[in-house]
Amino acid sequence: MEPSNDVALDIIVTNVVSVFRTRCHLNLRTIGLEGTNVIYKPEVGKVLMKLRKPRITASIWSSGKIICTGATSEEEAKLGARRLARCLQKMGFKVRFSDFKVVNVLAVCSMPFQIRLIEFTKNNRPIASYEPELHPAASYRIKNLRSTVQVFSTGNITVTGPNVQSVASAVEEIYPLLFECRKTLS
Amino acid sequence: MSRQCKNCGGSDIDTDPARGSAVCTACGSVLEDNIIVSEVQFVENSGGVSSAVGQFVSADGTSKAPVLGSGFHTSLGKESRAQTLQNGKRQIHNLGSQLQLNQHCLDTAFNFFKMVVSKHLTRGRKMTHVIAACLYLVCRTEGTPHMLLDLSDLLQVNVYILGKTFLLLARELCINAPAVDPCLYIPRFAHMLEFGEKTHEVSMTALRLLQRMKRDWMHTGRRPSGLCGAALLVAARMHEFRRTVKEVISVVKVCETTLRKRLTEFEETPTSSLTIDEFMRVDLEKECDPPSFVAGQKKVKMQQLEQELVKKLEEYQGEIDSYRDEIETQLAGSSRTKMKGIYASYAREDDDSLSVTSGLTGDEDAEDEEMEAAAKHLNQEFISQVLNRRDQGGKKDLDGRKNTVPLPNQPKHVPLTALLGPLPSAASLGLTDSIRQCITETTNVEEKSDSGELDLDGIDEEEIEKYILNEIEVEAKTELWMKQNEEYLREQKEKEERIAKEKEQGTYKEKPKKPSKKREPILASTAGEAIEKMLEQKKISSKINYDVLRDLNSKGSASSSTQQAEDVPTSGSGRKRLTRRKKQPNKSNLGLAKPASLMGKRLRPLISSVPKKKRTAAALFTPSMTMMLPPAAPEPPPAPTPPPVLESGPVAYDEPAEEEEEIEEEAEESCVSAMELIGGNEYGCEAVEEEVF
Repeated sequence: MEPSNDVALDIIVTNVVSVFRTRCHLNLRTIGLEGTNVIYKPEVGKVLMKLRKPRITASIWSSGKIICTGATSEEEAKLGARRLARCLQKMGFKVRFSDFKVVNVLAVCSMPFQIRLIEFTKNNRPIASYEPELHPAASYRIKNLRSTVQVFSTGNITVTGPNVQSVASAVEEIYPLLFECRKTLS
Repeated sequence: MSRQCKNCGGSDIDTDPARGSAVCTACGSVLEDNIIVSEVQFVENSGGVSSAVGQFVSADGTSKAPVLGSGFHTSLGKESRAQTLQNGKRQIHNLGSQLQLNQHCLDTAFNFFKMVVSKHLTRGRKMTHVIAACLYLVCRTEGTPHMLLDLSDLLQVNVYILGKTFLLLARELCINAPAVDPCLYIPRFAHMLEFGEKTHEVSMTALRLLQRMKRDWMHTGRRPSGLCGAALLVAARMHEFRRTVKEVISVVKVCETTLRKRLTEFEETPTSSLTIDEFMRVDLEKECDPPSFVAGQKKVKMQQLEQELVKKLEEYQGEIDSYRDEIETQLAGSSRTKMKGIYASYAREDDDSLSVTSGLTGDEDAEDEEMEAAAKHLNQEFISQVLNRRDQGGKKDLDGRKNTVPLPNQPKHVPLTALLGPLPSAASLGLTDSIRQCITETTNVEEKSDSGELDLDGIDEEEIEKYILNEIEVEAKTELWMKQNEEYLREQKEKEERIAKEKEQGTYKEKPKKPSKKREPILASTAGEAIEKMLEQKKISSKINYDVLRDLNSKGSASSSTQQAEDVPTSGSGRKRLTRRKKQPNKSNLGLAKPASLMGKRLRPLISSVPKKKRTAAALFTPSMTMMLPPAAPEPPPAPTPPPVLESGPVAYDEPAEEEEEIEEEAEESCVSAMELIGGNEYGCEAVEEEVF
């Protein structure tokens, strides 16, 4: 079993989702009419605001809860969230930046070999599940890290977890399992 | 049966089956009264024939509960479970017969269903979904050629929803369903395509094709039905049956595009160049890469090439500039149409799969000429260098194509597209380093979130200003938005008017969309009070007398408990006890009461001898109730409480309904302890009713 230390795998973080609260009621109509990059959806009851600098999209609810998606790193997510709060502050709301939490991190990684999914599922029976009728990838849930890894037969994998550290550990954990079931070229 | 007398220690015990008692002959103390016997009784009929007394009871417990007394009730706690199972069985049989599953499969499915119900996995899920998932589980374990799509067809439910339920059940029941093998579906689809006598041969050929596909890595990650369709189509053609793509897709249930794609992928494998006879005889050793991997590799190679070419370009800057302009103008016109040409041949209505290949090669011939013309402008040396590199670096299996000309043409095509529009390749590479840094760094950022203040460093004020529109813009936007959302605003207004009208009329009914479970926080000074208030709000089950439960738990309310104990005997005068009971349907009580009264006698000996166990039962019972009780386990009711409570029981059972309610509640309370005696049950509160019988 090759140790994963020798291999330099590029783990590319593609999406970071975070939430925070402004601790004050927000008037969605005002935001919807005064902001530049905003979409107001009264049927659902939220405002979508898109920032350019850290490229993020935020869903703003009138209760003051905000979900930020689209950042590429945890710091960026925080910066974007703070920017957003500042923007709302300028619109005249008594905004406070509290309870910021990164909720989900999505990363992709590419293995230099292909993977035999059926063998992989057989070896890791209840943790891995593969249903070709539904989805082309086998999904592997790591309970203690609370992460999910989706393994494709081409060797690409996508990892989702609560923070970047867990994502990295998940890749490390799954690498030897994937290496076992790799497809060696004849 | 040698027992010892408890009083004198003598072992001579006389058991009298007629009276049903066991007596010690030494001291005369009665050790057992009302002995329960388990014997078969025989009765003589008029013809002198003896027959056994009893009824036959069905094994799965779907029969009605035994009738006791006058038996005028029907709804019991246990019956609900039996009803669920009965209902499930019926539905399984319905659905299973539509799928033509045999009895063994249906029984297995019912077993799965029983397991599911016992694990409470049916909660929050539609019964039909659960049934379908159980059936599909059986199909998978038995290896029948049923697809999840068939089930969703029958039920008219989204296949992914069924799939979700199925995956969850499989995980919870720890059942490892073997992976779907496309070979399973071949006989079924072949039969539906009506090959007549040759069905078997065609199936065999299709199976061989499938095996080949598996080795060529076409089957991982793909729907098995798509592969089957492709294999069957080719097999049919090989045996000279005309089956159009449309016919095949109607049987196999995939999209036409998918089928074509599978066919083209198969073409790219070396097997496709074999003739029919060769295929039947020979099996090629070489395995191929999966097509998506191949596509990915292609992309990567293109990118690599581009980079190299960009470097080269910088060297030959001067010469190439002039040539580039000419080429650009020419190719901008031709290359895009050429690309369209290739894809057009895919989309063309075509029965013959082979003609697709010919179409491709035909287009490429035309393309060759264009390429050659363009190549003249470029430096020959430059091109030959690139070609060499191309040949050396990683060979791919494009041998399926009859024309090997495309291979050298592609690099010619590549540099030109690079000239026309360089793709952002370096960007992604550059970022990975910084991102890796991000990952390895600790991500503990100090937060001032506790105070709620906003940390303003790093925020560009000016930029933020841009995000807010000025007044004129606001007005314009307001108008636009109002116009856009006119309908919605109108609806809101009407709704408000309606509510206002109803309010005036006094017929205003609060109809919130979601029953909001907003509760005020419970303000109580003692734990006991808190429990009471919480119990009032949160009604968990209608079959439990919360007052009595509270008695068991409330610590500092010894006085109130004795008071309630006193209430019990005094309320026999006909006082409606509903105020205390809060929420108990009378019907069930009435039903329970009568048989409870009959049981009263039996239970008394149990009760009297187990005051201790009752305490532990109370302690055990409370956690299973899942109520938020204070950790300081409240002490059991003081000893004097049971006797006064009990004595009222047997005395009152001849009196009207209200009295019976009392017994019922006392019987319940005692039954709680009896249940715990026998052994805790995961049903928790529901088991109370079971024990009454």
